Formats: sequence, C-alpha cells, structure tokens
Amino acid sequence: MQGFRRYVIRRLMLLVFVIWCILTIMFGLFQLLPGDPTSIFIDSNFSPDMIERQKELWGLNDPIWLQYLRYIRNMALFDFGQSFFQIAPVSEIMADKVKNTALMIVPALVISIVLGTVIGAIAGWRRGSKFEQSTVATSLFLHSAPSFFVGILVLMVFSYQLRWLPPGGMVSLGGPDGFWEMIVARDYWVHLILPGLVLVSREITGPILLLRSSMLEVKGSDFLDILRAKGLPERQIVTHATRNALLPLVTYIAVMTGLLFQGQVLLEIIFAWPGIGRELVQALNDLDYPVAQAALYVMALVTLALNFIADLLYGVIDPRVTYE
Amino acid sequence: MTDIRAVRTDLSRIRRRGPLARFGEAVLRNLANLKVLLRYPSAIVGLTLMTVFILVAIFAPLIAPYGPFEVTYTAERAVIRLSAPSMNNLFGTTNQGMDVFSQLVWGSRVALMVGLLSALGSVLLGTLIGLFSGYFGGWIDEVLMRATDVAFGIPFLPFAMVVISIAQPSLGLVILLVIFFLWRTTARVIRSQVLSLKTRPFVWAAKAAGAGHMKILFLHIAPNVLPLSFLYVAIGVQTGVMLEAALSFLGFGDPHVQSWGIMLNAAFQAGAMRTAWWWVLPPGLALSAFVLSVFMITRAYEELLNPRLRSI
Repeated sequence: MQGFRRYVIRRLMLLVFVIWCILTIMFGLFQLLPGDPTSIFIDSNFSPDMIERQKELWGLNDPIWLQYLRYIRNMALFDFGQSFFQIAPVSEIMADKVKNTALMIVPALVISIVLGTVIGAIAGWRRGSKFEQSTVATSLFLHSAPSFFVGILVLMVFSYQLRWLPPGGMVSLGGPDGFWEMIVARDYWVHLILPGLVLVSREITGPILLLRSSMLEVKGSDFLDILRAKGLPERQIVTHATRNALLPLVTYIAVMTGLLFQGQVLLEIIFAWPGIGRELVQALNDLDYPVAQAALYVMALVTLALNFIADLLYGVIDPRVTYE
Repeated sequence: MTDIRAVRTDLSRIRRRGPLARFGEAVLRNLANLKVLLRYPSAIVGLTLMTVFILVAIFAPLIAPYGPFEVTYTAERAVIRLSAPSMNNLFGTTNQGMDVFSQLVWGSRVALMVGLLSALGSVLLGTLIGLFSGYFGGWIDEVLMRATDVAFGIPFLPFAMVVISIAQPSLGLVILLVIFFLWRTTARVIRSQVLSLKTRPFVWAAKAAGAGHMKILFLHIAPNVLPLSFLYVAIGVQTGVMLEAALSFLGFGDPHVQSWGIMLNAAFQAGAMRTAWWWVLPPGLALSAFVLSVFMITRAYEELLNPRLRSI
C-alpha cells in the first residue's frame, strides 16, 4: 500500500507538471497572435483613448511575466473571462457545451462497451468459428474506416434520401430544453440515432478486439477445468471466464474516452451537434479566442484526467501489479 | 593458414566500411525482408491498391483532363456548374464548375506526399528519441519521456486547429503538426524495446570489444528496432493522411492545394450532400480506399512481427 501511495503522488505531480506545460504552450501560442485582442474585439469606431483604457482593463500593458502568472492563475481557477461575441462568461459556455458533448458520447460509449464486451467474449470463446472470423474482420475494417466519411454517408442516405431521421442538431427548433427534460424526450433520442450509430460503429471495435484476445488467454486457464469438473453448465463457465477477461477492458475504457473526445469534433460538425468541438471550430472562425483557448484547455484536461484514472485503476484492479 | 588469412581480410573489409554505411546496409536488409509480405493475401491486395494510387499520382498530369482549380466550360463558354457525371466530366463538376475527376486525381499526390513525409518525419524523430531515451536512461530519459507525456496530453485535432488559425494554413504546417502528433507513440514503443535490447549479451560483447556508445546504439541496437520503426511508418502514412483529411474537412487545410479532405469540405459547405452525390462520394471513397490499403499492408506486417496475432 505504501508503494501505491507513493505511485499516486508521483503520478499526480506528473499530471500537474503536464498541465502546466500545456498551459505554457498555450500562453505562448496566443501571444503569437498578430496584433493583440483589442484589434479583434474593438471596432474601428473606438478612439485610441478608449482602446488604451480597454487594454489597461485587460492588463495588456503589464509586463509579460505578470500576464503569464495571471493567465496560469485564471486557467487553474477555470476563470476564462468573457466571450468576445456571446454575452456570457466563457466558463458557463464551456459547462453547457461539455454537457452537450457528453449527451452524445455517454450513450454511445455505454452501448459500445456493453455490446462490444458481449460480442468480443463470444468471439474469443468460439475461436476459429465463422462468427469469430467475421467479427474480427468487420471490426478491423470499421476501426480503420475514416469515421467522418461514414458520418457523411449515413447522413446522405438516412436524412437526405430516405428522410427517416433529422439531418442534424441535438433537438428540433423549439424542442425540449434543460438536461432532464431532454433526456426523457423522444426528440433528443431521434437526433442521437445517426451520430450515435457512427460513434458506436467505431468505438465498439476496441472492446470487441480487446475482449476477444483476453478471452483467448483466459480460456486456457486451469480454473475453468475445475469449474467443468464441478459440473457447471457451459453458460456459467463462460460467465466466469468473461469476468476474468474483463480486467484489461477497465483501463481501456478510460483511454478510449480520452481519444474519443478528439474525433468528436468531426462528428459534431457533420451532425451540427452543439458540443465543445463545434464550439471550438466556431470560435476559431469568429476569432473568439477566449472561447477557443478554454475549449482546447478543457479538452486537454478531460483527456489527461481520464488517462490518470486509467493508470490508477490498472493497479487497483489487477493485484499482480506492484509499485516498486 | 589460408583460412586465417581469409578471415583477416574479411574483418578488415568490415572495418573499412564506415558506421553510416553499415547502418544503411541494415536498413536495406530490412527492406529486402519485406518480400515476405507477399505471402499474405491481404498485403497483396493492399500493395496492389497502393501501386494504383502511386501510378495515378505520378502520371496525374496525363490522367487528369483539367487542372485542380480549372473551371470547365461548355462550347458556349458557360460554366458547367454541378453537372452530373457525363462524358465530358467523368465524375461531374462542383458548384464552381471544377472537374471532380481531375481534383480526385490531383488529390492523390497530396495524400501520398502528406502520408510519406509525416510518417518518415515522425518515425525518424520518434525512433531517435526512443533510442536515446532507452539507451542512456537517467536524466536524458527523464527529460525525453516527460516531453512525451506532455505530447500525449495534448488533444491533436483541437490543438492543430488552434495553431493553424493562429499561423497561416499551409500543407507544410499540417505535415509538421502531424509529425508532432505521431512521434510520441513511436518513441514510447522504441524505448521499451531498447530497454530490453540493451541487456542482451551481444551488447555486452560489443562493449567488451571497446565499442563506444554511438556505435553500440546505431550499429548494434538500432538495426534490431528497425522492423518496429517500419511498422510505425506504415501506421504513420495511414494516420497522417486521415489527419490531413480531417483538418481539411474542418476548414483548416491549405487552400492552395486540392486534397480529398478539402474537396469534402467544399462539398459539405455547399450542401452537396443533398444535391450532388457525385461530388461527395469520390473523395470519400478514395480516402477510404487509400487508408484501407495501407491498413491491409500494416496488418500483414504486424502479423509477421507478432505471430500471436496470426489467428484470423
């Protein structure tokens, strides 16, 4: 346990260090912007006097090290300032968009993991069968297909040609608002079908392939023979085997969520889903830099946090891992 | 007597070649070993497809009837906008009257260039970092691996989008960003391989024979990680092309070149998904076929390196 505690502390320090590095890189990047924020934000009617006052207000006349320290403090406290174009604090916008992104990712993830586990376990158990071969081939194919083109394809077929499903957005105009109202509304689920399907088609391949290979390993272990000798029915033996094969999946889920967050940008653009990725693209097009950097920062934080959790879980779940 | 003399001349011949030449030979030997890939049906399919792409890219000026940005006109000098596939425009035209087939052909050049440059760049960087980090350990390892951690913490697409919108969009920048994203995995994998290699007897033997660090690293250890590096070149080509397409699709591509991602972006912006399927499908399918062909080669190569995968 001593070793584990030391490991957690070390890992936590590393996390803080990486976040600090990323923040510094971001600070440098946004310093490279041509001109300063006032040139984007302030229209030409402002007198030089007013511009000067605005600069003073934003602390743009302070020495660079002071600006840097202030920047780090604000970011650490999630104080992202005001959006240039939307009349709201950036932190509020972020909270809203992260929620919307989660509304797409979480259902898709749950389906991918549950369904992927079952399919992968069966495939691994029936090694060499037609089912296993076709599952593996399909998964590899889906895994390497460019998912944004898959998204465009399903949109063309199901929304524009067949007109079965809405072509984008999270709810219809004037549809349900608010978190709880929405997740019980049929409207939201209908909008989720297409992007959800595309997400699942890619994300499900991970659990399938992982569970198949870990099942192959568990399948040869002695404890299954003992269960057989006890006279357990085959179905229960599969359950026992699956529980053991699940170990690597737990850490994989965290890593998967982190990666998923990145590809999310494309799906949100294609399906006009008002999530954080789409917000970032829009902010960059509008030169709304406070929003853009907050979005980048939040995405990096989520990725890092999930990786951190994955690392910790790895040790907690598998007692064979030591921290010497 | 004669035997010893033969050995001696042999030895001196080995010594005469410089370390660089010997490293180059190791690279060539590994490349020659790739012949084994032809035993895998999936690799043959992948290589055939890739050959087609390469030929199209090389002979693009002969194949494409129009330039990548050339507007096509009817006999009456009217722009042919959004025309469905016809004899004149094999895959139809865009809303600006450009020939989709020609754009597709020119796009193969961009895909190959982006794929190759980003893969080679990232693998070179990643392999070097992995080699140094794994072999020397200590503070060098610490610094390089923490840099890798930072690189892993940055979500690629969002980061690349921010950088591109701050600088100017250009193909070179996109390739640089992809390299920045890809080297980290190679570095980690190569490092762990080096960690295991450096404890092997042949490394002690080289040390005992008085070889210096650089000699051990590049003549004895590096040739053994080359197969892995090659694997990451293949993976890099695939990922690089995908990332360029994704960035271009989002509107952060180089406006001066015509890539498949940029075609998809233009089609998407123009709402061609409703009206002009012939504009959307070709770039998307070309991209998928390209990625798939690399993937099939990679998969066969992976099976070659790791026989445990060989169960499908």
